[in-house]
Amino acid sequence: MTTRYIGARIPRNEDPSLLRGQGCFVDDLQLPGMVHAAVLRSPHAHARIDRIDVRRARASPGILDVITHADLDDLGAPLPKLIPHVSLTHHKTQQALASAVVRHVGEPVAFVVADTRYAAEDALDLIDVTYAPLPAAVDLETAARADAPRVHDDMDSNVCAHYTQRVGDAERARAQARHRFAERLVMDRGAAAPMETRGVVAAWAPRTGSLEIWDSTQAPIPIRNGLAAMFHLPQQSVRVTAPDVGGGFGPKVMMYYPEEILVPFASRRLGRPVKWIEDRREHFVATNQEREQIHDAEIALDEHGHIVAIRTVFLYDAGAYCPYGLIVPIVAGTTLPGPYRIPNYHCEFKAVFTNKTIVSPYRGAGRPHGVFVMERLLDRAARELAMDRAEIRRRNLIQPDQFPYEVGLIYQDNAPMRYDSGNYPQCLRRAVDSIGYAGWTAQQAAHRAAGRYVGLGVACYVEGTGIGPYEGCRVTVEPSGHVFVATGVGTQGQGHMTVFAQIAADALGVRPSDVTVRTGDTAAFGWGTGTFASRAAVVAGTAVSLAARAVGEKTRLVAATLLEARPDEIELEAGTVFVRGVPARALSLGEVAAAANPLRFAMPPEWEGPGLEATRYFAPPSATFSNGVHACIVEVDPDTGALEILRYVVVHDCGRVLNPMILEGQIHGGVAQGLGGAFWEKLAYDPQGQPLATTFMDYLLPTAVEVPSLEVEHEETPSPSNPLGVKGAGEAGVIPVPAVVAQAIEDALRPFGIHITEMPLSPDRVRQLVAEARRQPCD
Amino acid sequence: MRLEGTNLLPASVETVWKTINDPEALRRCTPGLKELKEIGPDTYQATLTIGIAAVKGTYAGTLAITDKRAPTHYKISLDGSGGAGFMKGEGTVDLEPQGDGTTLKWVGDLQIGGLIAGVGQRMLGGVGKMLIGQFFKCLEQHLGGGT
Repeated sequence: MTTRYIGARIPRNEDPSLLRGQGCFVDDLQLPGMVHAAVLRSPHAHARIDRIDVRRARASPGILDVITHADLDDLGAPLPKLIPHVSLTHHKTQQALASAVVRHVGEPVAFVVADTRYAAEDALDLIDVTYAPLPAAVDLETAARADAPRVHDDMDSNVCAHYTQRVGDAERARAQARHRFAERLVMDRGAAAPMETRGVVAAWAPRTGSLEIWDSTQAPIPIRNGLAAMFHLPQQSVRVTAPDVGGGFGPKVMMYYPEEILVPFASRRLGRPVKWIEDRREHFVATNQEREQIHDAEIALDEHGHIVAIRTVFLYDAGAYCPYGLIVPIVAGTTLPGPYRIPNYHCEFKAVFTNKTIVSPYRGAGRPHGVFVMERLLDRAARELAMDRAEIRRRNLIQPDQFPYEVGLIYQDNAPMRYDSGNYPQCLRRAVDSIGYAGWTAQQAAHRAAGRYVGLGVACYVEGTGIGPYEGCRVTVEPSGHVFVATGVGTQGQGHMTVFAQIAADALGVRPSDVTVRTGDTAAFGWGTGTFASRAAVVAGTAVSLAARAVGEKTRLVAATLLEARPDEIELEAGTVFVRGVPARALSLGEVAAAANPLRFAMPPEWEGPGLEATRYFAPPSATFSNGVHACIVEVDPDTGALEILRYVVVHDCGRVLNPMILEGQIHGGVAQGLGGAFWEKLAYDPQGQPLATTFMDYLLPTAVEVPSLEVEHEETPSPSNPLGVKGAGEAGVIPVPAVVAQAIEDALRPFGIHITEMPLSPDRVRQLVAEARRQPCD
Repeated sequence: MRLEGTNLLPASVETVWKTINDPEALRRCTPGLKELKEIGPDTYQATLTIGIAAVKGTYAGTLAITDKRAPTHYKISLDGSGGAGFMKGEGTVDLEPQGDGTTLKWVGDLQIGGLIAGVGQRMLGGVGKMLIGQFFKCLEQHLGGGT
């Protein structure tokens, strides 16, 4: 079969409607009789609820219902534990509405439904809650201590998991190593900040006893399954649709947020459709966050700069509950080794409850942490050993002939990490060449002579992508010849409507514009897990390919009967089905589809059923590993701390490229989010656990002014783990950004001897570091 | 958040002490105070309306004066909540003669939460100082008028 569309830079099927403002997001839904909800949230980081009095709120004009924990019956139980782990000894989850204790600012306490959102919001002020404030565990390191205030009073401490992975014998190796350098590296909190906040609409249909839900989620099928169980309904009676979703980035794969239960609950109680849309301020306290970790790490090297051991012992801030288990710290610890040969590795973490918003994966999901630690250690070693930064990396890279490469760790999917393919030295070479590394020393000296502080950074990463358990796809050819592709992985802007169409188009000999992709609707396809972990192209993409090829086989079978040829003589091209070498003996694909669904007479048994339709699943046993190198040149103003990114080069390898334009878009967005997390975005909390950045005035997202024009290059090493040869790319852009920016800033400010051990920085923080360095002049 | 300051007031320690214990003076000089109702000895029920940044809120709560060492020292505690969040403060006031007047030293620790904390935090130090400044300016006028 010839490939015409896979790999092509074709415009996105989804863009015409999105660009014309004709998308349909949850808040665009207007159902007859629909009413509106608002959530009363805890203003305290930690408090006992002594009393809730809703009488005044109930009497307020336009109020239809005020729900507290007492109304929820069994829906008031702690929400499901999503991803258990043997080391997770205290798998605490929140309640849809707090019953006795609130454990972070923003935790839901009551739910008001009114004719209008306006009335609902006003009624929130009329709910009298008597709180008895309790001491809060806020700072991660303090919270991990035995004497810290406890977030959950049935625990002896705030540590909910303690997990260690080992490769080789790091203790012995470090004891015998020639050089050892230790760093303490701190990463603070950030938010994904999608353009669209969360939102849920639910409509209970009393006549059919069914529930229809529209949810801005990355995981409509698990939401459907969970709600069916919680509401004691058959799965077939619950339909969850994730319509257009304005960005997910991880937090929207969390299930179940309290509102996902409260909105359908209220709809069933009132017999009316209910809408709740999260406002931006709520988003900053009520949608999961990420990134907070403190690593005590050490690198041990031999006399040639070869790594002999790495050790990290770190704290992971889980927030007040840990529904999503240990995914983030496991990913951090397993991403750390990256593209380097590390014969001995000790990785140990404690997951710690704090009185802050819940943590679950956000784009990168621990990978930026692991890479930050590894790359900072290498930078430190290079400096101490007076080695070239690129050379110390090159010297330690896994070589192309070493694949498959056993890392010796267990990944987030509970499977052994086995790098399937890659060419790490080639990626490093290309990045170093593109950024002009060879001439850098002279260039930098020229900048310094001109009074400018300009620095270069280069950092590598490996990303585990495309994990299981499975995804599926049903491909159907209609009598019109139009192809429908239905799969469970919803889209939040990644371009599924286009790349899945490209894959199906190539298998069936049609154009991508002849293919309509349906995702995120449990009524269209009911099996699947969701969109996360850079896995849609790999897992669902392969399922699309398998299903489309199966439909191609069926088409040949049916056409063979109609055209009086053998199936293997039938070709599919440009929407027609014909006998090879005899183009005149042809039918349109639609005609074959119509013939495959006869109205009378016998149907050949070998058709195994009517229609041109097939469903296939792909269940990869383990991840496939992408990799890349980022290099950048930055200029820092030591007096103002301002950062300007002069150049930013990305060389990355995610196997076979399905659509370079979409891929570059993914990389661009990832780098932008990475830059935010490296320099501007910080969710600060005060010592009592009050969030201090709950608006975009305080939480600074990088804009078109800060994000440079990116230079993206693709290296293509096909994955041997799936028939398309693809690897995931969704998170790649974000992963090494903090590491590369830290190195570049350090390089720029080398005359001051600044040492960067934290992320995010900020202009203010850079100024402080410069001021401290100026007080202690160095050579 | 810790706030502190020193004000020089044009009256004797005794007069200042009387004034800062006088509900009428407190009522007149506390910015945004809508209601101050004595509910026990040195304990008041208070309603305050204060705007910080874009967040204007009404807070209902209690104000209590304790640890009194007339005429030079007391402790004041404030505890209030409303739709825009909550505030909880504790401070001390110390008076010292200074020539014909009195030096009033105040130190306070204010905790705020909810909407005002998230949205108004950056302004809060400044707004707090401004409000306390208004309070003492009013007190100064009150005392000046009385002599």
